[in-house]
Amino acid sequence: MPALDGMRILDMTQYEAGTSCTQALAWLGADVVKIEQPGVGDPGRGVRTGALNSPYFVNWNSNKRSVTLNLRETRGRELLLEMAPHYDVFVENYGPGVIENLDLGYEVMKEANPGIIYARLKGFGLSGPWADYKCFDMIAQAAAGAFSVTGEEDGPPMLPGATVGDSGTGVELALAITAAYVQKQRTGEGQFIEITMQEAMTYFMRTRIAYSEWGEKVAPRRGNSAGAPTDLYPCKPAHGGDGANDYVYVMVVTSRMWDTLCATIGRPELIVDPRFEDMWRRNENGKELYAEIAKWTRQRTKWEAMEELGAAGVPASAVLDTYDLFHNPHFEERGFVHDLEHPDYGPIRLLGWAPRMSASEVPLRRAPLLGEHTVDVLSDDLGLGSGEMQELEAAGVIGGAPVIAGK
Amino acid sequence: MPALDGMRVLDMTQYEAGTSCTQALAWLGADVVKVEQPGRGDPGRGVRGTEFDSPYFVAWNSNKRSVALDLQSERGRALLLEMAPHYDVFVENYGPGVMERLGLTYAAFEAVNPAIIYARLKGFGLSGPFAEYKCFDPIAQNAAGAFSTTGEADGPPTLPGAAVGDSGTGMQLAFAITAAYVQKLRTGEGQEIEISMQEAMTYYMRTYVAQTDDWGESVVPRSGNGFGRGPTNLYPCKPVEGSDGSNDYVYLIVMTSRMWDTMCAAMERTDLLVDPRFADEEARVEHVEELQAEIRRWTMQRTKWEAMEILGKAGVPCSATHDTYDLFHNPHFEARGFIAHLEHPQWGKIRQLGWAPRLSRSAVPMRAAPLLGEHTSEVLADDLGVCPEDLAALAQEGVVGGVVADAAETL
Repeated sequence: MPALDGMRILDMTQYEAGTSCTQALAWLGADVVKIEQPGVGDPGRGVRTGALNSPYFVNWNSNKRSVTLNLRETRGRELLLEMAPHYDVFVENYGPGVIENLDLGYEVMKEANPGIIYARLKGFGLSGPWADYKCFDMIAQAAAGAFSVTGEEDGPPMLPGATVGDSGTGVELALAITAAYVQKQRTGEGQFIEITMQEAMTYFMRTRIAYSEWGEKVAPRRGNSAGAPTDLYPCKPAHGGDGANDYVYVMVVTSRMWDTLCATIGRPELIVDPRFEDMWRRNENGKELYAEIAKWTRQRTKWEAMEELGAAGVPASAVLDTYDLFHNPHFEERGFVHDLEHPDYGPIRLLGWAPRMSASEVPLRRAPLLGEHTVDVLSDDLGLGSGEMQELEAAGVIGGAPVIAGK
Repeated sequence: MPALDGMRVLDMTQYEAGTSCTQALAWLGADVVKVEQPGRGDPGRGVRGTEFDSPYFVAWNSNKRSVALDLQSERGRALLLEMAPHYDVFVENYGPGVMERLGLTYAAFEAVNPAIIYARLKGFGLSGPFAEYKCFDPIAQNAAGAFSTTGEADGPPTLPGAAVGDSGTGMQLAFAITAAYVQKLRTGEGQEIEISMQEAMTYYMRTYVAQTDDWGESVVPRSGNGFGRGPTNLYPCKPVEGSDGSNDYVYLIVMTSRMWDTMCAAMERTDLLVDPRFADEEARVEHVEELQAEIRRWTMQRTKWEAMEILGKAGVPCSATHDTYDLFHNPHFEARGFIAHLEHPQWGKIRQLGWAPRLSRSAVPMRAAPLLGEHTSEVLADDLGVCPEDLAALAQEGVVGGVVADAAETL
């Protein structure tokens, strides 16, 4: 039995922040029904490719069902409110004011379903002087301090290359929704949840903030180093590598790791070298130490270096690029890369979901086509017959003619 | 009523990855009891070698209780297993092999509490060729591809500064635990959960992974702060008074032609709208350097706060580069009450950022992180009915520690 078996989500999310939240809920077993505009759907469907099933969309909408409903039509909005009593949760991440313009606020939904959990994910939130500012991942990362601690000491702030402002917020919201669901199971009551991308992103900044004297000092950027010899070292290019990602990151946080590192790279004399005898001296002579270690890493590929150091007990990792994520022995053995079929693409591959639960397995399913489940959901939830649905389709309230004809 | 009122968590976490998980659960109302080694505690307490509990520890352990229990001793381990039936969840993030050496495996817990949710957070997981490798946040970020997409196009891979490899994993585990708790409330059954930092971190990489059409067959490059797509980039600003300029920048995004129009209007540069060099998106990409120079001319005459306000109000997605000082000194967080003022027994008045999810019916006030063993007496008394005399004896033997030792002296 999936952990969240029976939980039903009315999903009005788009792009990444909201979709990453509902995808996580779906992977734990919730029935996620994504409501999309006929013809276009979630704008994430068109990212980069302009078609309806971009790899971006496919990566963030697995295991969901898609229902097309034109919310600008009175009947479309009515249908959504008729569906609401069948669901536990409503989630949206539209821009400031959109839900208000559609008149689908908490009060309206609550009237249709008093026990609903109504969750809103916003860039800067629903209050405060910046409430109406637009937000995307990079904006949230800049506004939460992540740029300020990424990049070289003497260089500009740098965009971190994982979209945590979006999907980090999504995961925090999925947790809050599930906690509210626990409460609803006990009390029968729903509630209103608000989360902002800016605030959510600061959770991941707390370790850097801890170097700021309770917020009175600016924590600096420090490139890749964190006290010699912890740093990124160049390696011999792996087969097919152009050098851009042929590096290994090595960490030494205890004196035992220092000893192990020296022994592993066949340089035990460094342990007794007065230039490197303690943490302070190693920092003082960081450049010379870097050169000594780089001499060893340059003779090995990033994979060889990772294996030798990792097996010895020195925290180390090759720089994996996006190709490596799909081609490495570790993910392969752990079954983390999933092979699926998609009608547009044929065979596709997606990375899996990190939490592995012994009593709650949910197989990975590809993202839905636009409106793929309109007929199923409207007939199951509302008991609509095919005649009524044809009328709704003709009136432009629901969409995806080929899908309906196919049924 | 807090959302997770009544959920009890036996917390054997350390540093950040595990502690960020249990802190999130505590902020949703779970009773988190942190079990720590007497005298030393979570090694995170000593990060940077301060005399007091480190700001790092204080940042990751709010709203928890601390019990000091010597798990190297047989009696300590026995006490932990006696406590286990009173809890719904056990969480640990020790290095490879530690729980096995202590004999505190899922089987051991299941024997005394068949319904326990037993959660393990590991760097590379419990299986696969890298299972035994040690892991910290930068290692996980690197092993999940995040270095490869951070930094200048012609520079080396770069460490992303937010510790998402740790706390991004903690968050996913907190979510999985809460889902397993829903299942337990229905079925009465517990389960084992494993999460690896490397795999969890890849969740935040999916958008980069999706930048090609070949499902992982090619390498997505680094591109610094811009994407070579017109104006979207980081721009230098006039330094705020007293600043050295290192974070005086504003990031702005132009994704639609409407945002382009709005940006030019907000900068009072409507001439750019009719400039043939910038006539459409293609032209703006072709003349990206000239375009960015025009924008820079405007941003350099304004502080990052002025630029953010003018552009943000107009509808251009943008943000000043906030540094860690700015996070505690900005009108928005202040208006939203996101900065918590707390008292810490060692540090006195401290400030902490809050918890992003705001639940209308589930408020949990923020409490400062516990001192080592601060709650040993109350937890052992409440859970196991250990009386003060027995506590004193246990403290004398070194099996329990923390404040109870002082109590023993005064007995």
